Amino acid sequence: MNDMSKEIHDLVMIGAGPAALSAAIYTTREDIDTVLYEKAVIGGLAAVTDLIDNYPGFFEGVTGLDLSEDLRKHAERFGADIRVGDVTSLFDEGKYKHLVTTDGDIYAKTVLIATGTAYKMLGCSGETDYYARGVHYCATCDGAFYRDKRLVVVGSGNSAVQESMFLTRFASHIDMLIRGDHLKASEVLIKDLKKHDKITVHLNTTTDEIIGENNQVTAVIGTDKLTGKKVTYPTDGVFVFVGLTPNTSFLQGSSVELNEYGFIETNEKLETNLMGVFAAGDVRASATMQIASAVGEGATAALKIREYLEDHKKKYPISERPEKSKVSV
Amino acid sequence: MVKNITVFTTDTCAYCVMVKRFLQVKGVEYEEINLDEHPERRNEAFALSGQLTVPVTVVTQHDNTKEIVVGYNLSRLAPTLA
Repeated sequence: MNDMSKEIHDLVMIGAGPAALSAAIYTTREDIDTVLYEKAVIGGLAAVTDLIDNYPGFFEGVTGLDLSEDLRKHAERFGADIRVGDVTSLFDEGKYKHLVTTDGDIYAKTVLIATGTAYKMLGCSGETDYYARGVHYCATCDGAFYRDKRLVVVGSGNSAVQESMFLTRFASHIDMLIRGDHLKASEVLIKDLKKHDKITVHLNTTTDEIIGENNQVTAVIGTDKLTGKKVTYPTDGVFVFVGLTPNTSFLQGSSVELNEYGFIETNEKLETNLMGVFAAGDVRASATMQIASAVGEGATAALKIREYLEDHKKKYPISERPEKSKVSV
Repeated sequence: MVKNITVFTTDTCAYCVMVKRFLQVKGVEYEEINLDEHPERRNEAFALSGQLTVPVTVVTQHDNTKEIVVGYNLSRLAPTLA
């Protein structure tokens, strides 16, 4: 296939969360032809977060949904082409990177991977049996089904605390089960959590089994690590926030280097080991998992991508991009 | 042929926004039932989907057959509009 028969872009971003949208604002303002592929929600995990209270400039906090919408509008204002679809494979073919998507094959001079992370599953008995029918991973999506009901939240980090507080809008009571001996959330969130009398925190408590009757969750069985005794928490539903796993399964088989947990290794320019392929945001090894950091990394990646494209143009001087580079035959 | 579409949503659900945007882009009209405004209809959404989640999209065809799509699942939603 010659270049004229390919759909070629300057830059394809995989993901459309804060890192990618921030990068897209920068690249499209400089007339870099930019396409983003998002398989789930524009805004990524940020979009399903109830309240973001630590993003600079929003002194009263901002909902994840509103921030995501504004980032999307900002990127689209300058011409970012945000597409709904999944990138399933990435190949380096030298002059261009070859991306296999659910819409077909596309090519790019450079690629930014900003696929973020997803919430981990617990892996306990009953979790998959009651998936979305009593076991949930998105409070802003599913909390409304638990008005005046009892809930269990599993997890001790910022997400677990933030989402537990959100769920108090609906639930009559929440038991937070925490495996360790302390909450890992920020001090500010812990302070806020203590104001909620609907929430009871249970430290040193494992989550062993989710049980139910008649297709409905009725209880969580755990172990009190200090006494070794089994403990039962009657509940109508369970929300799980026990950490994040990188969305990098599509890179299996590619030559992009991942660390032992599946996060993408990068250098200080946010370059992966594959020349012309960059990574930014939560999917990157050593990421801080903060929206403000992701946005900053997006800006950094955009500037480094611009430099890369200048070099690419020198290396392949005949490679003029087709008219708008959107579609060719 | 699609007769009508109903989408069960909540105020805070990002996946609901994506479903609504997809239907808008396709130029398809739909009725939205916001469960925060109409909590009495939660059981209806659960009965249709068997799941305690939104979005739930009900696509009724002209022969009155119904397709129920749970979540933001384009591989299931898009064919129902064909």
